Amino acid sequence: MEQEIWKLVLEYLAAKERGEWKEAANLEERLQDWISRDPLHRQELDQAIWLWESTAVVPQSDAWKSGFAAIQLPVPYEKAQKKTTFKIWLGAAAAVVAAISILIIFNKNRTVLREVVQTTWTTKTSAPGKITNIILPDSTEILLNAGSSISFPNHFRQASMRTVKLVGEAYFKVKRDPNHPFIVQSSNIQTLVLGTSFNISAWGKSSPQVTVLTGKVAVSRDSAGRQSAAIYLLPNQKAGLDAKSGLLYREKLEDARSAIGWTEGKMIFDQTPMEEVFKVIERRYGVQVIADRSFKDCKLSAKFSNIDIKEVLQTIQMTLDIHYTINKQTIYIKGGKCS
Amino acid sequence: MGENNTVGLNGDLGDDFDGKAFEGLYRRMFPTLIKYAIYLVKDAEEAQLILNDVFIAIWKNKVLLVNEKAYLFRAVKNGANNYHKASRLNYQPIEEEEVQGIVDVKADPFQSYEHKDKVRMLYDLIDQMPERRRLIFYMYRIEGFSYKEIAALLDISVRTVEDHLVKGFQFLQEKVLKNRAEFQ
Repeated sequence: MEQEIWKLVLEYLAAKERGEWKEAANLEERLQDWISRDPLHRQELDQAIWLWESTAVVPQSDAWKSGFAAIQLPVPYEKAQKKTTFKIWLGAAAAVVAAISILIIFNKNRTVLREVVQTTWTTKTSAPGKITNIILPDSTEILLNAGSSISFPNHFRQASMRTVKLVGEAYFKVKRDPNHPFIVQSSNIQTLVLGTSFNISAWGKSSPQVTVLTGKVAVSRDSAGRQSAAIYLLPNQKAGLDAKSGLLYREKLEDARSAIGWTEGKMIFDQTPMEEVFKVIERRYGVQVIADRSFKDCKLSAKFSNIDIKEVLQTIQMTLDIHYTINKQTIYIKGGKCS
Repeated sequence: MGENNTVGLNGDLGDDFDGKAFEGLYRRMFPTLIKYAIYLVKDAEEAQLILNDVFIAIWKNKVLLVNEKAYLFRAVKNGANNYHKASRLNYQPIEEEEVQGIVDVKADPFQSYEHKDKVRMLYDLIDQMPERRRLIFYMYRIEGFSYKEIAALLDISVRTVEDHLVKGFQFLQEKVLKNRAEFQ
């Protein structure tokens, strides 16, 4: 591929990665023009995109280890440092640490004397059918959706980073504190914020999504503790992990508030596979749905306000021609047609 | 870059500055940052010392990095500048075009792989690029710096950055075309 085309392709892919749709569309038009000139061009472009995507993450390598071994973290300094210590001692301690650091650099063969800080985590869980309101020690507010759980460390207030772990879905209103970034770890993605409100849904199998309502957040892919380059989200933008390519994508939304409809008991489906719809209903109403056939390839678009489960099932009955029976907490579904 | 990148912590707040997080940061930043340091000082050992000094300073001062990338790259650049001042060497950057001949053309990564780890093969190809091009590739693709930011960090023009990237991708495409079978 010629240089000029490569320039165009790189501009186009970068614009897409930054979520600048208008610019991306413009560039795409120019690329289409080029593609139409030769049937081979399409193939070349696909290959270029493949190269772009495959080079996003550097393969794992242990090269960093020998470099890191030369740094021995001066932990004793940290322990010695207490509020009551006089400033003069701090200065002296710093000097000692500097000396130790220098010694350490020239003493590469010494074993690493690093202390592992013990962290215990507290976990809160929302039972099916219930939404829990949690207020963290820093007055961050979390609405935890039914069937989800969130964990935070015992030293949450003192830590330099406010880290929490999420399984399922939650809406966060993070107390602003630029000195202590707030980090949410959820399946395969990490979200970093300073103070803002956003929704994360990270249900087991389905790909995780982050939706921003106010402020700005950074989302990165996390695989076994390695983070990819972050993409930044502004209000009414959403990031997710593409199940096929495993890459992060960014999308513009008309109204991000639909992502937190669940906090008011609403259910919003947009071309959602029926299997997922049933899971949402199970969590929302604390029931079990048993169907006598597979609803694979069946999709539903519908909005339900905070209504009784019977009304929900009646709507689905009309759209998909199913029969249902409710027996206490179990719903049996029979028949059904996908249009 | 250019915004408020670092926030110093009061000593009495940082009791839990996490060793694990620190190691993670080092591991994550190492691949590109060490290339940048070597590029600046043309000496692998010296580059490693500069890089470690930057990290030791972070640990010692419990600096919390809000925009860690921008901060680290700038800190390494400062470290390299100080090194050049201190060594009083008449530093002359070697033009990569001169160095290019050193690349071992015979070393063909395709033959040495039994398993088709495509990403690794691509990165072996990237490692064959001339030093500056390879560095630009890493800074752009791995760290996500913009053309402008790379230009500032390397003291070159934006057009040069773009040119290197385009040639880098062209190089990859040619190699992949030549070795189609391995990339199926």
